[in-house]
Amino acid sequence: MNALPISDADLHAYVDGRLARERLAAVEEALARDAALAQRVADYRAQNAGLHDMLDPWLNEAIPSRLLAAATQPANVRSRRWWPALAAAASLVVGVALGWFARDVLLERGGTPTTFARQAVFAHVIYAADARRPVEVQASEAQSLVNWLTKRVGQPAHAPDLSSMGFQLVGGRLVAGNEKPAALLMYENADRQRLTLQWRKLPPGNEETAFRYAVENGVGVFYWIDDDCAYAIVGRVDRGQLLAAARVVYGQLAEPKK
Amino acid sequence: MPAALPHPELVAAIPRLRRYARVLTGEPSRADDLVQDTLARAWEKRELWRAGSDLRAWLFTIMHNVFVNQRALARRDARNVSLDGDESGGESWQLSVRATQYARVELMEMMQQVGRLPSEQREVLLLAAVEELRYEEIAEVLAIPIGTVMSRLSRARDKLRRMVDEPPSALKVIK
Repeated sequence: MNALPISDADLHAYVDGRLARERLAAVEEALARDAALAQRVADYRAQNAGLHDMLDPWLNEAIPSRLLAAATQPANVRSRRWWPALAAAASLVVGVALGWFARDVLLERGGTPTTFARQAVFAHVIYAADARRPVEVQASEAQSLVNWLTKRVGQPAHAPDLSSMGFQLVGGRLVAGNEKPAALLMYENADRQRLTLQWRKLPPGNEETAFRYAVENGVGVFYWIDDDCAYAIVGRVDRGQLLAAARVVYGQLAEPKK
Repeated sequence: MPAALPHPELVAAIPRLRRYARVLTGEPSRADDLVQDTLARAWEKRELWRAGSDLRAWLFTIMHNVFVNQRALARRDARNVSLDGDESGGESWQLSVRATQYARVELMEMMQQVGRLPSEQREVLLLAAVEELRYEEIAEVLAIPIGTVMSRLSRARDKLRRMVDEPPSALKVIK
């Protein structure tokens, strides 16, 4: 195969997790071949991590009240004309939220995987916020982690590799499900954003589904059913990034390693 | 149709705006003034924000414009003092990491190295590596072609690499 040569822009996009999927294989192949190129990428990554170490602590500083005040709509730009539109928008939001909620309740009674998607969001919110002990088994014991989850969940598994998107495996844990436990793997990027991949064995006879998306309080979830197993990938990242992660996971699970 | 800006998202954007403002101005005290001016401008310009689009990228664009305008005014006032050196940007950029638990020596060194980058390269690097904007968004924020974004990013990263390899001795005496 005659791929395009690797450009400077490819390398930067790779480091920043912005590389188009179709270029990924070519870049990784070039990195495997060329040690100097790989060193450059490693150095760029170290720069990114260093910049985050340096500048992220600023994000936790208390916001001065004058800035909070400046974020509030100033009196001189307030206008009565907007209220009808605002009220309409608000009622639409409430309506959609109620509809979504009612749908969830109905679907939960029916025992469909929506239950799982919501549970996956809850599990993500609980464990991803845990700075010290987000997982029970660390990624350093990846093989025993995978064996353990496979045994407990009853579905053969391996930990997908999300490093192409800048996410590294942190580890995993079991989480409570309706009848059976679900497995949770957590990933983290240099910005300390976390993604969780969760899956649960379903009773036989489920139809495979396409990716479905839901968002709850800013936490997005893509979920799907494949091979009598429900999968969810959850994170407080934008929809596009989450979808890209879901595709990577789906692609890797479809071709089990070894 | 004028629309209100989403207040929770605006508040949520403040920490990142403050961070980028410090990178732009190099001074924490001026940085918060810049954030305040940016928020005020955002409310004035709220009709230009397309609901549903990325509010953060839009705010960065406003901040960049406010900063560039203020700098141009300041420069006009100071033109008798100095006309050269503004493209290197490093002289006035002295972000201090206060003595806290996160101020490790390597970070202080890195901060100084970033400070020695030309300001236009530093901005692109920070928007890409720290704020994690898409390259197209960076091009919009800075009003430059995407090719320029890529070349500045490339130069910034390669300069930092060389600085790590051979740190100038002058850096070591800065406390």
